[in-house]
Amino acid sequence: MTTVPEPITAASAAQIIDSASESPRSYANKTQKSALLAAIRMALRVEGPAVRHNVQTFNRNRYTATAEIPDYEALKDQARAIKERALRDQPQLVAQLEASVRRNGGHFFLAQDARAASQYIADVCTRHNVRLVVKAKSMTSEEIGLNHVLEALKIEVAETDLAEFILQIADEQPSHIVGPALHYSRERITALFKRVFETDLPLDTGEALTAFARERLRQKFLSADAGISGANFVAADDGTLVLVESEANIRMTTIVPPLHIAVTGIEKIVPSREDLGPFIELLAASGTGQPMTSYTSVIRPPLAAPVISDGPGAPAPREFHLVIVDNGRGRMRADPVLSEALFCIRCGACSNCCANFQAVGGHAFGGQTYSGGIGGAWEAGTRDLASSRFAELCTGCSRCVTQCPVRIDIPWLNTVLRQRLGKQQSSVAEQAVKRVLAGVPDADAGASLQKLFFGRYDLSAKLSAPFASLVNAVNRLPLMRALLEKFVGLDRRRTLPPFASPTLVAAAKRRAPRKPAAAARHKAVLFADVFTNYGAPERGLAALKVLEALGVDLTVSATSPDGRAALSQGMVATASKQARLTAARLKRYLDEGRDIIVVEPSVLAMFRLDYRHFLEGESGQKLFEALRDHTFDAAEYAWKCVQEDGVDAAKIFQATRHPLGARIFYHSHCQQKTIEAQRFAQIGGTARPTEALLRAAGFDVATSSVECCGMAGSFGYKKDYYDLSQAVGQDLFQQVAKAEADGGPRTLVVTGTSCHEQLHDGLHRPVLHVMELLAAIAQPIDAATS
Amino acid sequence: MHRLSTLASLDAFEHAAREAAATVERIARPAGAAGLAGQGEELARAVLRVAPDARRIAVAPPADLTPEIFGACQRLPGVFAGRSKSELAAADVGITDAFAGIARTGTICIALDPDHTGFISLLARMHIAVLSADDIVEAPRDVFRRDRVGGKGLDRNFVFVTGPSATADMGPLVRGVHGPHRLHIVILV
Repeated sequence: MTTVPEPITAASAAQIIDSASESPRSYANKTQKSALLAAIRMALRVEGPAVRHNVQTFNRNRYTATAEIPDYEALKDQARAIKERALRDQPQLVAQLEASVRRNGGHFFLAQDARAASQYIADVCTRHNVRLVVKAKSMTSEEIGLNHVLEALKIEVAETDLAEFILQIADEQPSHIVGPALHYSRERITALFKRVFETDLPLDTGEALTAFARERLRQKFLSADAGISGANFVAADDGTLVLVESEANIRMTTIVPPLHIAVTGIEKIVPSREDLGPFIELLAASGTGQPMTSYTSVIRPPLAAPVISDGPGAPAPREFHLVIVDNGRGRMRADPVLSEALFCIRCGACSNCCANFQAVGGHAFGGQTYSGGIGGAWEAGTRDLASSRFAELCTGCSRCVTQCPVRIDIPWLNTVLRQRLGKQQSSVAEQAVKRVLAGVPDADAGASLQKLFFGRYDLSAKLSAPFASLVNAVNRLPLMRALLEKFVGLDRRRTLPPFASPTLVAAAKRRAPRKPAAAARHKAVLFADVFTNYGAPERGLAALKVLEALGVDLTVSATSPDGRAALSQGMVATASKQARLTAARLKRYLDEGRDIIVVEPSVLAMFRLDYRHFLEGESGQKLFEALRDHTFDAAEYAWKCVQEDGVDAAKIFQATRHPLGARIFYHSHCQQKTIEAQRFAQIGGTARPTEALLRAAGFDVATSSVECCGMAGSFGYKKDYYDLSQAVGQDLFQQVAKAEADGGPRTLVVTGTSCHEQLHDGLHRPVLHVMELLAAIAQPIDAATS
Repeated sequence: MHRLSTLASLDAFEHAAREAAATVERIARPAGAAGLAGQGEELARAVLRVAPDARRIAVAPPADLTPEIFGACQRLPGVFAGRSKSELAAADVGITDAFAGIARTGTICIALDPDHTGFISLLARMHIAVLSADDIVEAPRDVFRRDRVGGKGLDRNFVFVTGPSATADMGPLVRGVHGPHRLHIVILV
């Protein structure tokens, strides 16, 4: 069904074709970690260029298409509310749907599992003596393994979606929910067709390949005994099916053969046809990034249109069967976390905006059927927990959170899956040792040594701080690197960020006492997060200087583990405990009327996004909302002060006086992009306050357009993922080169610790935090205005 | 005011439909008693203009427009009345009416029941759809409202059509797959 309006430019087509003999099928089952790692290697080598091109095109188009929906945010709220209602009322809706389908003259079957669904469809086909089935793209039919069941009965199944047509002849699983064969470049398709169909035709253009497939399939459509489709949505009140596509194969499948069987998941049911509007707009825009795809069928089969035929006599009457599949969805519905995945409308936006997915696609970042950010929950729900292991590739960067049309907190699903997987796969004895010796909460005791190492950064930092220079020296030793690589999987090509001495809290205490501005309009506290406190106090000190220059009455908090490090390793219980502790500590400042300034964006994202999972009960949610509304990124707060006070930023931060010059390349942290977009959607202002501030100060700003740098907290440090992290980083490195092609070098500026490491490692150049950039030229407001 | 907004949505519709690779033209109704017949004749001339080489033309009786509007088209050379599978599958041009147009996306809505309209709009190499300017709504969701286009979107089997059939599954974007390779929209104003 896919349309990606741009040609592929596969640079090394020949090489790609040569190495295409490896079958992705062999890695589809990722219950063993070795399969995941092998799949990543295969994907980077073979499928990467086509995946990246196609997925990034989808991604760009989605930003354009959703921006053209005037009430996009409100529409997402509506869609979410309808899905919530549908899930709550599911049993009644299923009964209502059954009655509707029967009233329309169709047959209805509720299949509890994959086997029952396939068997029912096989029985219908057998009863009708079906020899040839034309099949439209259906992820649900992939999930239930329908083709194998039909083929075992000697029924020919013709996949008619051109992507599925490719996959069928190549015997591969889908690599993307919407574009199942987008890992194939045109060159590879040509090679595949020539091999399989043994043709001398050149088939060297998209047109030629399409015409070739069209001719074969046209005959199938016109002679098929049955058409099998999925459904994107099903309305309970009148039995309407919605089917979204571009190639017209679904229209053919549902109207030409006399027998139509639709098979779809129970979660596709919405209460009524009147509810379809928001979904139709959101699915097209969020999926392929088109305002509408070529065809969206809205049908209540069996159709009244006559069956067309060439034979004499009356044509066969139409018959319709709707097969609604549960297959684990009931368990998902009862699961407080996984139930959220049932809102999914399968648009693939979470795959398209995912930096890791853009690099490897769904053969690595996916299971036997489902792929991408939401895929883990679906594989866990419809298969088993171990099949969701690829959820490891979700770094929690959160870019999908604002892109999901039904507002699923996808990183949260993946975090919980990681926790459950760890628990399932470590021994009882091992867990006991971790509980007793390391004080790990029971729920997190399945975490590996690696996860404990990264997840309890606060502990190692606290212990190392008094001996910072010694620890740093040891960490740089080849032997230590080898040990860290062996025991915690830290790639020896990476250097751990050094511990600082003194810490931010200690350094702030040593500063000359400050006379609070008599009538400060802004009162705030700088939160000494563990990364800034132990790893980069200079950023915190720079933030103090910048904000004090703007007249902010500022104090520095004690350090406190906020839970980010633990959460990123799937240590949910640890994160929850730390979150409650830190929130309680910060409440004091809120009560004093102070805003909270955060230097590290991933920590800020905890306060603005993730704490809602941890602060429970009515008072907990109130505290979460207070924190969400009163926490600010340092640059965001500076911009807020400039705006509210009507100050000329160029007087306080004169970019032209900067010793490094006014030309900069600014890369925004992934989680920062998300929380900025959320605040913009909630209260307006600007979607990019940091850029606005830098421009107002007179900087010549070039920005990155990547979703994430690829380091993503600890992800890029891990030996298993180093190559993937580097592959993701290439986009960013190339964007720097492009921005510097005209007019020469730019100062590299970031906001996140891990982005800093990635850029520094990749380009071997100094990288500044935004606050460091501005602190170098900040002039106190009184001096600037006098 | 109402008239102005109608014109604006007409322009928006045309623009969006062209973005989706459809071609669009407007045909005005001449004044006087013979206006409808005149508009029908202009429509037939438009068919000849956009499909000069068409040998086999299928015309579906309009579901909503006054039947006279297709009168002249029915008399075009190449129009066939047979409705067998092979005849319909070999059509060069299929002419149908559309019961709604969508300004924001350049989409038209084609009824599939109760006759052969679904096939005629699908199997022909080129689909010519005739839309009344009065039936243009703002957004796709409006088609599911009781108070738009007579609530037809809540009752019918239909398809939203946005441009010709297309794919990018073979690499670059290709227009013309299993459905029409061209979509021409005639707006009656």
